[in-house]
Amino acid sequence: MEEKLHAFNPNTKTHRRKVRNERIRKLFVCLCVVVVLAPFYVAILYAFKPATEITSNRLAFTRNPTLENFRRVIFENPLFGIGLRNSLVNTIPCVLILMACTSMAAWVLARFDHLRAYKVLYAVLTLGLLVPFQCFVLPLYLNWYNAGLVSTNIGFIIARAGLQISISLTAITGFVKTVPRELEQAASIDGCNRFQLFWKIVFPLMTPINTTQLVLNTLFIWNDYSTAIILLREKESKTLTLAQIQYFNGKTTELNEAFAFFILAMIPILALYLSCQRYIISGITAGAVKG
Amino acid sequence: MTNTLPSRKLKAGLGAKTHLGNLCFLLPTILLFSIVVLIPVIQGIPYSFTSWKSIVSTNHPYNGLANYKYLLGNKYFRMSLKVTFSFTLQYMFLSMLFGFGLALLIHKASSFNNVCRTIFFLPFTTSVTAGAIIWSYVYTDIYGTLTGLVSPLGLPNQIVPAMALMASWRDMGYAMLIFIAALQTVPKDYYEAATVEGANAWQQFIYITIPNIVPAFTTNVTLLLAWGLRTFDLPSVVAQNMQEGQTTAMYIYQSIFANNKASLGQAAAIILTIILIVLTQIVTRVLRRMEVEA
Repeated sequence: MEEKLHAFNPNTKTHRRKVRNERIRKLFVCLCVVVVLAPFYVAILYAFKPATEITSNRLAFTRNPTLENFRRVIFENPLFGIGLRNSLVNTIPCVLILMACTSMAAWVLARFDHLRAYKVLYAVLTLGLLVPFQCFVLPLYLNWYNAGLVSTNIGFIIARAGLQISISLTAITGFVKTVPRELEQAASIDGCNRFQLFWKIVFPLMTPINTTQLVLNTLFIWNDYSTAIILLREKESKTLTLAQIQYFNGKTTELNEAFAFFILAMIPILALYLSCQRYIISGITAGAVKG
Repeated sequence: MTNTLPSRKLKAGLGAKTHLGNLCFLLPTILLFSIVVLIPVIQGIPYSFTSWKSIVSTNHPYNGLANYKYLLGNKYFRMSLKVTFSFTLQYMFLSMLFGFGLALLIHKASSFNNVCRTIFFLPFTTSVTAGAIIWSYVYTDIYGTLTGLVSPLGLPNQIVPAMALMASWRDMGYAMLIFIAALQTVPKDYYEAATVEGANAWQQFIYITIPNIVPAFTTNVTLLLAWGLRTFDLPSVVAQNMQEGQTTAMYIYQSIFANNKASLGQAAAIILTIILIVLTQIVTRVLRRMEVEA
């Protein structure tokens, strides 16, 4: 191996410099990793520290790590159970509804994008990328209030799905345009109607982008705060993300418990991210190349 | 060619039936979007021309442009705009800098780089609110211990850069992925040809890398601009009691839901929307022109 490299690199000086540069790069990247992960270390440190422990060095890891903070969050804080239930009940139907609606719409919008009416419709439906939530939060809240949807799971699901349409639609439409039409044409000649054609042929072809969108939307909806704080006013309707804030509205004595809460709330999303990270990465980059 | 031919055929054979079928596919999305976004946006415009106070009252008399006039002269609103702009600029700069730097370091495909990518994107999976609270302890525990200084979140003149740093910690991974995707599309033979011609690494970076990834800058700038200008959750956690850290989005929320000035908040929201749309249009135009030239 070494000899081969030398054969291609008669100038061993350059070769040695390359190896050295590569080492420096890796060292520097590792340093960046440490810096990026530092905030997580702080959270873990507090979550495992006994509530009574006061150390002179705040950064050192505790000598008596404890799970007591986690136990208290899970068994003694009613908001944790409520929050977990609401987060699950809101997020799962919301991302599924979004997938069904936006993939159907994106297919039609991508295939008929040569017609003016469809172009206009696409522009309108992606308006959400430009208009900030604050612009329509007041009327939205009033409509939801009048319909009895404030502080309900269904109200939050509808609102959050609607808010996510523009960004999802952009990504999926971009993807559909890259899928060749030949398969669809063959199937329609075979006598499939439009709905069979979509669900049997087109929808399976959209699996890569739909998976990506499913994961990304879960991330956005699970972590949502701006919408939740407005539409979920009652204690029983709060999500995990919203419930986290309770610790910081006055009481700072339960600091260790607060960080245990953060970590517990992060675990489901972290598990999803680590198992599906390649879809997230491909999803973001796919949207980027398209521009 | 293969794509244009069938589409032309399709266009010729389009009947009302096809469009009706299409409508079935579009209807759920149109309904959802109209109920949640489109109709409320339209409803909101007339509200801003009234002197509506509390959202529970049904009394909202018309008062013309009074809200807009009031806002343009209002000290707190103007300050919130200043905070929003200053935050957005710093946040965009830092996110792009970190994102681009990391992308250059790890854009090549290797298992080491893949693991690093996963780690650098990790902050984006946290909720803004939890991240904000964790960071307030990073500032007291790590920053405070290392430098012996007080947390910048407690200082009126440092709170905006402190928030920008927190926000870019979370979002730089997103920017990084967009840059990596662009860097991977630059053809390798460009570099090979340049090396043969005797161009050094710096020249290759300026004349090959940069011009080829301008679209990634466009995507990032527009995205971060929109995210920055509408920032709400971060300051509402860490800048609750500090005027110097209140963004326009927070001013809007406070006016509508806490201070009983519903129509004033709505007018402020419309001003913010107009600013966002105008700025995004300008920035996209300028960057697109650079793409063409490059």
